[in-house]
Amino acid sequence: MNAKERVMAVLNHQKPDRMPCFCANSTVTYEQMEKVQAFWPSGHEKGEDMAKQALAAYTVVGFDAVRVPFCQTFEAEALGCGVKSGGTEGIPGIAHPSPYTLNDTPVFPNDFLSRGRIPELLKAVRILKKELKDEVLIIGGIIGPFTIAGALVDTVPLLKASFKTPEKMRPFLEMGQKAGNMLAKALIEAGADMISCEDMTASPDLIAPKTYRDYEMDYQTAQFEGIRVPKILHICGNVDGIVAWMGQTGAEILSLEPKASAQLAREKCGPDIILMGGVDTATTLFMKDVATVKAGSEESIADGIQMLAPGCAVAPGTPMENLLAMLEVAKAH
Amino acid sequence: MKILSDFSNIFKRYDIDLEKVGQAKQISKDPILQSIAKFVVEGDEDGISPAVDEALKTKTPLDIINDALIAGMNEVSRLWEEGVYFLPQVILSSDAMNIGIAKCEKAMGKSMERKGKVVTHTAEGDIHDIGQVIVNALLNANGFEVINLGADVPVDKVVAACKEHRPVMVTGTALMTTTMTAFPKIAHQLKAVGLDIPFICGGGAVCEEYVTSFDLGVYGKEASQAPGMAEDALTGEKWSAMRGKWNG
Ligand code: B12
Ligand SMILES: [Zn+2]
Repeated sequence: MNAKERVMAVLNHQKPDRMPCFCANSTVTYEQMEKVQAFWPSGHEKGEDMAKQALAAYTVVGFDAVRVPFCQTFEAEALGCGVKSGGTEGIPGIAHPSPYTLNDTPVFPNDFLSRGRIPELLKAVRILKKELKDEVLIIGGIIGPFTIAGALVDTVPLLKASFKTPEKMRPFLEMGQKAGNMLAKALIEAGADMISCEDMTASPDLIAPKTYRDYEMDYQTAQFEGIRVPKILHICGNVDGIVAWMGQTGAEILSLEPKASAQLAREKCGPDIILMGGVDTATTLFMKDVATVKAGSEESIADGIQMLAPGCAVAPGTPMENLLAMLEVAKAH
Repeated sequence: MKILSDFSNIFKRYDIDLEKVGQAKQISKDPILQSIAKFVVEGDEDGISPAVDEALKTKTPLDIINDALIAGMNEVSRLWEEGVYFLPQVILSSDAMNIGIAKCEKAMGKSMERKGKVVTHTAEGDIHDIGQVIVNALLNANGFEVINLGADVPVDKVVAACKEHRPVMVTGTALMTTTMTAFPKIAHQLKAVGLDIPFICGGGAVCEEYVTSFDLGVYGKEASQAPGMAEDALTGEKWSAMRGKWNG
């Protein structure tokens, strides 16, 4: 089986030759950058270097999928947010101040797909498609409505509004929904085989589960609507309190951190949902050793994980041997 | 009794099997102070201002601060720790409390007396300041003066603020593996200038092992530990002793 067939087998509820191993989020590390001779910040900005760095997930590490982009700022930038470069070592973030306040009426730009670095992102996907000849899965990343809304009005005001004036969040959630949906469709047209949505601000670490259910869930569902490839939904932290609703958004795959229970996700979402996840990316994959990574990965699999993955985005300083240790565990299953 | 025409709402409410139910306790027997505390517990930033103005006619500013505003915030911390309240509510309550405290301080013509200063910051290059916002709120609610340096603060600025303010302790929050590396640098510089104060480091990216690998470092797992740690520092407890007490 090639890498893509392996992942698709799990999605079709068939038995793969071994457990797939890849990530819903970025897996770029400094070591991989050296190996492929493509660096940051250019990997966040230029299609060619972005593609080179994404390829490393397959050619250097041996994962079953590659993924672009490596930060969470593409939609926000195209919608008017400033971006603060992370330089050669860091990940770009949203600059302050945010372009809107909650009392504003945001306007969706007609030329959304040609704004900011989106053209470079699409270029990267086209390069990957050519290089990988359909043997390795290409994942296109989008950002969830709540997280985009947080970039547009700033996270703390949005959190306050979630209790005080939740209706004021709607125009911004709608912007986020539309942006992610449009970007997903463009990524698929460019060659993406799967869409991964990161919605870090919708974590129960930050918002109440009822905010997810009463607001975010509908926008997330709408964002996934009309997307004909398999979709991953990734929300950071312990999502036990919302996992049942995550399973109703139309995502075929849920990507979980080890803080969340895969067993509970299975109970709440039923037999069809595919669960991916694995060890904590900061406290284990980055900080600890091969033995700890292996033990943690086995634990996740025992909990019901079907596709082994870093629990969230890989920290760029993560040692290669720890990524390889994860892959080794997947190969033994 | 109100007649319900739409039952969908009721059903919606009861499927949250994972949300805990709980209730705020009564905070003061005095009805005026209780009503002020309620604005804090409910995080009502708009309501609290006129209510404090009204209360100032019959109560001293200090009683309002201690027995209503701060007492209300302590109740909010309790509800948050028990999982009844969520992060946005803690932020709203803290803002309401601060509005109330500012009113009372204006009425007193001076700042309320504080136990001691604590410098707080989020690491250079890191904009994840929500953990710090909570730490600030809880320290404030426990009578400490918070020197809030905000997010994305350069190492030198943290050290300079400690030199200037001579706090009982300093805190750092980092959620990224790329930014937590500022902590040992800060600790090193603080030592170099003879400021042997506890440096409490917390935030998603750091763990006990990392923070206790450099001098001055004490690991803060939960924001709710911050006031207790500050109390210890206030009594002159050294970072090494605090490490023994708060860390494994
Ligand atoms: C919300 C969030 C954001 C918001 C931040 C809003 C804000 N104003 O803070 C936004 C959307 C802006 C954002 C942006 C980014 N984020 Co972000 N984000 C998160 C998220 C989902 C939650 C963090 C959070 O606020 N948690 C809740 C607070 C309360 O937790 P906390 O700060 O850890 O505090 C607790 C304890 O640690 C402790 N504590 C903290 N400080 C202290 C201090 C003391 C004294 C004590 C006693 C205790 C204590 O108390 C608190 C609980 O009681 C996390 C994932 C996750 N679930 O953790 C990712 C995460 C932190 N983000 C991440 C990344 C990569 C980014 C970006 C680079 C992504 C991007 N390209 O946009 C940018 C960062 C830009 C920059 N330069 O900083 C990564 C970091 C990876 C790593 N470990 O290196 C994470 C872990 C997600 C991931 N794995 O990819 N993010
Ligand atoms: Zn995550």
